[in-house]
Amino acid sequence: MQTSTTDPAIISVWRWQWLIALFIVFLVATATLLPRSGSLWASALIVLGLSGVLLVWLWPPTYYRHLRYGVDATGIVIERGVLWRSHIALPRARIQHTDVSQGPLQRRYGVGTLKLYTAGSRHTMIELPGLAHPDAIALRDALLAESTTSGV
Amino acid sequence: MASETDFQPELRLHPLSWLFALATFIRQFIVPVIAFMIFGARNDAELWGALILVPLLVGALWQQWLYRYGFGPRGLVIKEGLFFRNLRQIEYPRIENIDVKRGLLHRLLGVAEVSIATSTGGKAEATIRVLSLEATQELRDQVFNRGRPAPTHAAPAAQDEVLLQLPPAELIRYGLIDNRGMIVVAALFGFLYQAGTFEISRQSAAVWFEQSQLSHLAALGIAMQAGLALAGLVTFVLTLRLLSVGFALVTLFDFTLTRHGQDLRVRHGLLTRLALTLRIPRIQSVHQTQSLLHRLFGRVSLRVDLAGDSSSSQDGKQQSQVRTRWLAPICTPMQAKALMAVALPDVDFAGEPNWQPLAPHARQRLFRQSVYFATFVAAAITLALHLLPEAPFEPDARWIVAFLAVMLVLGWWRADLYVKHTRWALTPDAVLFRYGWLTRRLIVTPRNRLQSVQLTASPFDRRHRMANVSVDTAGGSAMSDRIAIRFLPRRIARALALRLYHSHIDRAGR
Repeated sequence: MQTSTTDPAIISVWRWQWLIALFIVFLVATATLLPRSGSLWASALIVLGLSGVLLVWLWPPTYYRHLRYGVDATGIVIERGVLWRSHIALPRARIQHTDVSQGPLQRRYGVGTLKLYTAGSRHTMIELPGLAHPDAIALRDALLAESTTSGV
Repeated sequence: MASETDFQPELRLHPLSWLFALATFIRQFIVPVIAFMIFGARNDAELWGALILVPLLVGALWQQWLYRYGFGPRGLVIKEGLFFRNLRQIEYPRIENIDVKRGLLHRLLGVAEVSIATSTGGKAEATIRVLSLEATQELRDQVFNRGRPAPTHAAPAAQDEVLLQLPPAELIRYGLIDNRGMIVVAALFGFLYQAGTFEISRQSAAVWFEQSQLSHLAALGIAMQAGLALAGLVTFVLTLRLLSVGFALVTLFDFTLTRHGQDLRVRHGLLTRLALTLRIPRIQSVHQTQSLLHRLFGRVSLRVDLAGDSSSSQDGKQQSQVRTRWLAPICTPMQAKALMAVALPDVDFAGEPNWQPLAPHARQRLFRQSVYFATFVAAAITLALHLLPEAPFEPDARWIVAFLAVMLVLGWWRADLYVKHTRWALTPDAVLFRYGWLTRRLIVTPRNRLQSVQLTASPFDRRHRMANVSVDTAGGSAMSDRIAIRFLPRRIARALALRLYHSHIDRAGR
């Protein structure tokens, strides 16, 4: 099966998301630790913050490289994970319904997340993030086009 | 619920329903109420009890007065509610199970509690409490006949065919194997604790110990003491097993599995009679369990996953409500094979499947995991005992070596047994997986029931060129086991996942 990567714009979305999360954690840590004073704490905070920023800069492209998807006559396969790798294969007959969702950041970069719902008990929702929004819509339509059976 | 808004349900509950509404409410509060009655210091406790009961009784009567159900053109319609009226319509084809429960009181009064479940999962969609037996039969007939048009209904195969019946001897075996006695003990403890009995018994025990010949006991010497402790332990275990046998005899009394067209029907219970329906097209997989004790008696247990029993519903609270769907709590392996063929008509059980082993290095990896685990536990125990000020003894190096040696022998034994007994097989219509070292399980999932297929590999898996394959079906809760094959050679895992994903091609080419 031919697999392809998603839209690289998702890297920026992820960077922003992680940066915001990191910023909040950093604020909380500063607020709780700084009053205890000591230059040791301050320097530890700065080192942690800087390494966090480095990680936020480097991790999304790595994750992006390992996020691939492929569509064939049977259905869709999604590969993800850098250290713990997972391929999930979903026949299109099993798709119950779908969502294409966009957060504010994703709207800014024009990407969307395709969510596929199954009747399963563990993977009831399978996500494919980072598709360009028109591609997500097109993929959804392609997947739903031929599924007519009941799905259980 | 868009259409048929003009349909008004007209059927009412059984005239004595209020009694059961009251009973369920009281049961939830029985322990506090009893504690209140017995241990309450106030002597006007009965008055207060009556004051609580009156509004409940009025509420129950009112609820019964307003409750209506009826067979609409498209679905079962239920109207209920005290202040907030609710009109619920459940379409006939969506109704999966109609379970009938009859407690002692129900049976005395000739009524039944009926729960209706769809494939939404979790809790039953509607519980009708209570109906007369004729009304229950009527409900069952109406729903299942309307839900399925002509063919199955008209077929003369509507005769009940008995597939399995468990005589008391089998139930005693089941009780011995199963450890439900623990549940009875736990329930008893909980009850006694709530009722405040422990406080009293602790005081009396203290008095007893003071007066009795505890000094004699101390003088008996270590061998006698150990003997007494052992005897106590054996008595405890025997009592548990006896309780468990009693529990099995009561709850599973007269267990009967019958086939009625496309339905399997299960009835059991001495005091509370349960009648459950398992619709064969909804069966997602079959699980066979064989513990050490099962093997001693030459028996297995067989249960199924039904679509709709998965508790993937958002609230997640109802998980404990999902009862085990037994096909046979206990049966011989031969019977199990026959029952499996009935439960999964799409699967061909004629030949022995082509069982495949795990990756060659699986045994070493399992053993290595045991080594890490044993080392960790040994370190933790040693550290804890050295740090605790009042530890009974401080383990030295000899102790650690002995502990590790025992653990490693056990670990190797486990790894060896696990790898020897873990096999998977792929047939044109099913995927089979058997695994376990002491308790051995077999899971059979038809390939037309697969929802999704997952192939995973951790960094350790990748170092050993291994991968894991797991499948997801619509049945079973997220907690229960499923086909998840670990330690496969990577190439084989990839091929297996691909074949499973393209299952419809294999099935079509048959």
